[in-house]
Amino acid sequence: MASLWGWHTSALTGISFLGMIIGAVIVLLLILGIVSYLIYFERKVIGWMQGRIGPNRVGPFGLLQSVADIFKLLIKEDVIPTNADRALFLLAPVVAFVPSFMVLAVIPFTATHYFTAGLNVGVLYYIALSSITILGIVMAGWASNNKYSLLGGMRSAAQMISYEIPLGLSLLGVIMLSGSLNLNQIVAAQNYGHVWFIIPQIIGFVVFVISGIAELNRTPFDLPEAESELVAGYFTEYSGFRFAFFMLAEYVYVFAISALATTMFLGGWSGPFLPSWLWFAIKVSACIFFLFWVRATMPRIRGDQLMGFAWKVLIPVALFNILLTGAIYEIHL
Amino acid sequence: MFGVIKGLAVTLAQLPKKKVTLQYPEVRPVWPERFRGIHEFIPDLCIACNQCARICPTGCISLSGSRDENKKMRIDTYDINFEICILCDLCTEVCPTEAVLMTDQFELAAYSRDVLYKDMEWLYENHVKHGTYEKLQAAKRQEAIEAEHKMAEAAKAEKDAAPIAERSASAQATASQVASAAEPQSESGVSTPAPTSTATAQTTTPALTSPVAEPPESAAATPADKGGDAS
Repeated sequence: MASLWGWHTSALTGISFLGMIIGAVIVLLLILGIVSYLIYFERKVIGWMQGRIGPNRVGPFGLLQSVADIFKLLIKEDVIPTNADRALFLLAPVVAFVPSFMVLAVIPFTATHYFTAGLNVGVLYYIALSSITILGIVMAGWASNNKYSLLGGMRSAAQMISYEIPLGLSLLGVIMLSGSLNLNQIVAAQNYGHVWFIIPQIIGFVVFVISGIAELNRTPFDLPEAESELVAGYFTEYSGFRFAFFMLAEYVYVFAISALATTMFLGGWSGPFLPSWLWFAIKVSACIFFLFWVRATMPRIRGDQLMGFAWKVLIPVALFNILLTGAIYEIHL
Repeated sequence: MFGVIKGLAVTLAQLPKKKVTLQYPEVRPVWPERFRGIHEFIPDLCIACNQCARICPTGCISLSGSRDENKKMRIDTYDINFEICILCDLCTEVCPTEAVLMTDQFELAAYSRDVLYKDMEWLYENHVKHGTYEKLQAAKRQEAIEAEHKMAEAAKAEKDAAPIAERSASAQATASQVASAAEPQSESGVSTPAPTSTATAQTTTPALTSPVAEPPESAAATPADKGGDAS
């Protein structure tokens, strides 16, 4: 068994390559299941917060609602506008979707890292790959040959790029405290130190949460998807399975950002008594619930306020956090 | 900043509260009394005045009537084209006899457009099943009971006043004349108190229009009875 899962402790052999593939497929299937029920739970939670019950007709307690929705999207006609840039139109969902799965390779789900690639530059890998999704979104906006899509794509790209900077900067404090970019070691540092990085890095955590929500194009930063403003933004022209790709990409990112927040600030899989994967699940669920909660609560931020907020508020605060962390680190050592 | 936290607290507090969703086909909503659903029609009360057809903004009501043997207008056909009815309630407002009213039925989707042309039979059936039929019948029964009570009281009063009647025979003659004049009025549903034998009593109260057609036989019978008795 060791050789099956031993791809990051020993040289690559045929059997450990097979182990990698099996691991990837298992994670893929798990994530697909999680994401479809994430959509269901979002509707339920937001419904309950709005004084109504969410889906409850399709299947027991409405559990088959996601299955019905995805099935409907799969059997829809594949409409490609005549004047759309065909190659880019077909490629954009793929470019938007694939990085969202790839980033999950570095997240440590359990204490035994069977499904995790122990990259020594894990944080950098994560931030870099999440930028490729922005490319996919701009491609979608451009290739649709539609002014609403283009506007939506441009707005979305501007927003996501602006908020990537505070996202990265807020993680710098954690990296300084743990001394490594390797996510496995960051969790290990929190595990052995028995203090989660949220406590010394509370400012960094707040900046991370805000920029994470903006990165995901979720309310209150969901201007690119605002129905009342842009029809549907960059995926106006997409229907059926291609639309499902974008939706899936967004929800996998919800999971991925929550997983990153859990890993960097909330101690990942560490915790007493319960098995490590269960702790990880609990913490990720709490983060995801927080994201749903914010969506049910806040109105949308205006376009100009959005950009101003990133550049004029979040970046200085993140820089201040780094300074503070460095100063305290120096003084205490 | 703290506004956001207060907002988050508000939405979190909503979680355990009772939900306002009605599980529709199993649980029906309770409608207020003046809910405007499909109409009900009571042919007995309709006087074919055409006001409802005139005021209908989409012209969905079509009716025809004729005079019967008593020179009263009776309704022959009455149709509502439900495809264009906007359920605005104007026809019920203008009806002088409240022959057309609105029920709480709104689940009228059909597979064919023919079904949506509601005729008098359908509307009367609607009256019986979902409309005010029960209420009107109960009101009629109530009126009948009250009329019986009044007759009983009048009979008692007459028995007590029997000796006095012989002294004022002329008063009786005038009383019977006024009673016979009052008879045609009573046919149209006016409730007249049974004229008593004493001279003072002849008061025909002015017509109280009641939507219920008082069975004219009992009211007509009493003055005729009294007239016959006195003379």
